[in-house]
Amino acid sequence: MEKILGLKITVARGAIAIICLIVGLVISLQIKSVVRNTQLDATSAQRVETLVADLIKEKDKNQGLFQQAMEYKSQLEQYQDMAAEQSDSAKLLAEQLRKAEISAGLADVEGPGVVFTMNDSKIKDSGENINAYLIHDQDLLLVINELRNAGAEALSLNGERLLATSYVRCVGSVVMVNGQPYAPPYVITAIGDPTQLETALQMPGGVVKALEFYGIEMALKKSDHLQVPRYSGVIDFKYAVPVSAADAPQGGSQ
Amino acid sequence: MIQVIALLIGIAAGIWLPYNISSANSPYVAVAILAGLDSIFGGFVASMNHRFKLKIFVTGLFCNAVLAAGLAYIGKLIGVDLFLAAIVAFGTRLFQNFAILRRMGLEKLEEFVAKTRKKEDVETT
Repeated sequence: MEKILGLKITVARGAIAIICLIVGLVISLQIKSVVRNTQLDATSAQRVETLVADLIKEKDKNQGLFQQAMEYKSQLEQYQDMAAEQSDSAKLLAEQLRKAEISAGLADVEGPGVVFTMNDSKIKDSGENINAYLIHDQDLLLVINELRNAGAEALSLNGERLLATSYVRCVGSVVMVNGQPYAPPYVITAIGDPTQLETALQMPGGVVKALEFYGIEMALKKSDHLQVPRYSGVIDFKYAVPVSAADAPQGGSQ
Repeated sequence: MIQVIALLIGIAAGIWLPYNISSANSPYVAVAILAGLDSIFGGFVASMNHRFKLKIFVTGLFCNAVLAAGLAYIGKLIGVDLFLAAIVAFGTRLFQNFAILRRMGLEKLEEFVAKTRKKEDVETT
């Protein structure tokens, strides 16, 4: 039997003391970790919940603002109509405005045209790159370009109006159009001469033939009465400003 | 006494150490803590009865800890919480050993009280 710091140390006491030391160490580590882990779980769950709540709130707000914008728009139209009734010059201006709105995509338009629906290929286990059997932004852009070439006057993709500034771009498994995500099937509505639009798409060596090779599902429907909605966002030019008459380039080159 | 000091030092070291046990490992650590507590109580009882043997103490501690951790691991593999078996076994033994310690402590207290009374009786008479 030895004595350390005035305490009697036997084998039993020493051994038990060592185990006590280890057990104490592990207990405090465990308590610390359990507290920390539960806190981590709680915070991550809370974060998701708050984010979801925020998202819903923002969506509601967005919806409300959109409704408001539409109301103002119809009010504005009423005022324009009233002004047009009063004078001939106002009438002319209103007519020009209507045309500009149609070409800018700021007015709902209707007329004859085609509805072109595209969906991913159903071919499975082809052994080749699976990406070839999915619809990509290039495929959609080819179709849109072909329709524009055939004289389409108004275009929408899954109900999103395509403007002069619109983009179609793959982001993950969806495509972004005007900043909104859209998933297949993609429905392209084009207003124009239905026969011309159809032949443009179906021509030999054209875009439909190319995509058929990969089994992309496509359906074309001609219709006499189609609607293309207006662009619901805000068009905001930050950099481009109209050139004033004095600075306008003469004859194309300077 | 020295055991309590060691326990406190251990707890302090655990708080001070910047190491954390991941939540995946905490069931094993919990079982290991129980194995350690079981050994501590068992060792106390044995030393009180003067039949403490270092070999039995050390092998008991390590074998029990390994068996319990193994049960926990196998339980995780087959989807049954087998570490509960280890917890129940260690818990039962903990309570048994604690009961023995309590009785021994009570007996000693009674002896002590009886002795002091006798002394007082002797002194007063």
